Amino acid sequence: MSQTMVGVIGIAVLVIVFFARMPVAYVMTLIGFVGFSFLISGEAGLKLLSRDFYDIYSSYGLTIIPLFIFMGQIAFNAGISRRLYDSAYKFVGAYRGGLATATVCACTAFGAVCGSSPATAATMATVGLPEMKRYGYGDELASGSVAAGGSLGMLMPPSVVMIVYGILTEQSIGKLFVAGIVPAVFMTGWFALAVWVYCLVNPKQGPAGEKFSWSTRLASLTETGETMAVFVLVMGGLFLGAFTPNEAGAVGSAAVLLVALVRRQLTWAGFVKSIYETLRTSCMVLLLVAGAVIFGHFLAVTRIPFSVAQWVGAMNMPGWVIISMIVFVYLIGGCFIDALALIMLTIPIFYPIITQLGYDPIWFGVIIVLVTQMGVITPPVGINVYVVNGIAQNIALEKIFIGIVPFLVALILGTMCIVIFPQIATWLPDLMY
Amino acid sequence: MDWWLKLVDQLVGLLKRLGGVALVGMMVITCVDVIFRYFGKPIFGAVEMVSFMATILLACAMPMTDREKGHVGVDLLVRRLPQRTQHLVDAVTGVMSMLLFAIVSWQMFLYARTMKDSGEVSMSLEFPNYILVYVVAVAFAVLSLVILTEVIQNLSKARRS
Repeated sequence: MSQTMVGVIGIAVLVIVFFARMPVAYVMTLIGFVGFSFLISGEAGLKLLSRDFYDIYSSYGLTIIPLFIFMGQIAFNAGISRRLYDSAYKFVGAYRGGLATATVCACTAFGAVCGSSPATAATMATVGLPEMKRYGYGDELASGSVAAGGSLGMLMPPSVVMIVYGILTEQSIGKLFVAGIVPAVFMTGWFALAVWVYCLVNPKQGPAGEKFSWSTRLASLTETGETMAVFVLVMGGLFLGAFTPNEAGAVGSAAVLLVALVRRQLTWAGFVKSIYETLRTSCMVLLLVAGAVIFGHFLAVTRIPFSVAQWVGAMNMPGWVIISMIVFVYLIGGCFIDALALIMLTIPIFYPIITQLGYDPIWFGVIIVLVTQMGVITPPVGINVYVVNGIAQNIALEKIFIGIVPFLVALILGTMCIVIFPQIATWLPDLMY
Repeated sequence: MDWWLKLVDQLVGLLKRLGGVALVGMMVITCVDVIFRYFGKPIFGAVEMVSFMATILLACAMPMTDREKGHVGVDLLVRRLPQRTQHLVDAVTGVMSMLLFAIVSWQMFLYARTMKDSGEVSMSLEFPNYILVYVVAVAFAVLSLVILTEVIQNLSKARRS
């Protein structure tokens, strides 16, 4: 049996076991270990397990993941999001669908201190949904804007997806972070447009709210000052080289903790909850990384990634066709597998294609985040939708999925813009580095 | 069975608290290092200490994450099966996971012993690395115990339904 054949069988078995509800990380480890042992030797396979796990768990580079997750968790449990929301509401609340737009804007702002999309969605669901209910918003628009807006949390730096992408492809995490800022603002604009169009078609979904004077609006900004200060401290320190990405995570966590303590917003119970939530999320992400590394070692032996890259290269298709195909694969695949798991599984295969075609790896990192955003809101496995549904149990799942549609369209159109005009993502990092 | 559940619970809880302490430690050491470096006196071996704590954190979080169903999986198909079949499917995949992590734990113990025999120490603090490998090995052992418990629970649920 050829090595490629073993690889193909391995991938097939992988998919089958996925559907048996076994955790994705465990399946990748298992198939990677069995396949590697089969192709090289049992002894080598056993060694691979202990060495890969220990190497990953003891790597300093990965300590950044728990630290940035911790920062987001503290911000979440300290309720920093409410003031961001209030301020955004004072600016755009008077327009039709304004509260939904405010939700999207607040999500982006909260994303500046939080690197995870479900956490952002959960935060905004607790803050934004009751407000929108109070002003008579439709369930679809209200829940859709929270679930979709939450996905902006991972485009706006810090971003766990970018960290993982940076580690897997050995790209600069700082550069990836900078690259996310402009697309995040750009996508916020697209989402606001989605809200506007949705309300134009269906005005009952988002009635206009009260209007505030400019002095009230500007005064509300001061209330969000500390969030901005933390963002400037963390990102500024990172870009100016005052500290490394890992240190930025630690300093950011400490800064958010300090703000929460000074404001007396974090209880001991909330602090402990942040810690355990961080442990759980970090472990989930890191086991996925470990599984992907072990599975990647097996794939490398089968030579499948190289063959696929060669095959795609030989097809002589224009780059945008191949990019569109990759995005399509993620869009469909993201419906069935958790988006982060899918990325880790496919990076070893897609990344060589991208570099071979001469695309900027940093730009591709932004595209990867955008497709992950699609993955977390598309049915049936859209984690953000379940998070929102878990918090607002009176809103039916179907309604949230309907509410998602305009945002998904906006996300696809926005991604197309960034594919056609890569400068949207590459302009700022090129300027700074 | 009750004493067994209690034992596993306590092991998971112990590791969880250890992981939590490691997380806070990572944050504090890094911040203090950044501040001290600003005054020209960085902490000796801070990077290594943080790496050690991260190792402890990640290893110790595994049993609790499994217990609290923190891992992502594909629920589309199994969810539609009858209750009994669901428990059986979970038991079968559970046995596979349990064996996998038991093997990882066993290999980790061997790895730790090799490291101890070779006298390998960390670069700046000269801390014996094998101790951390033992921690990881123990965490994987507890993880397989947690999964074993889940398998037993799934089988007994399957028999009852």
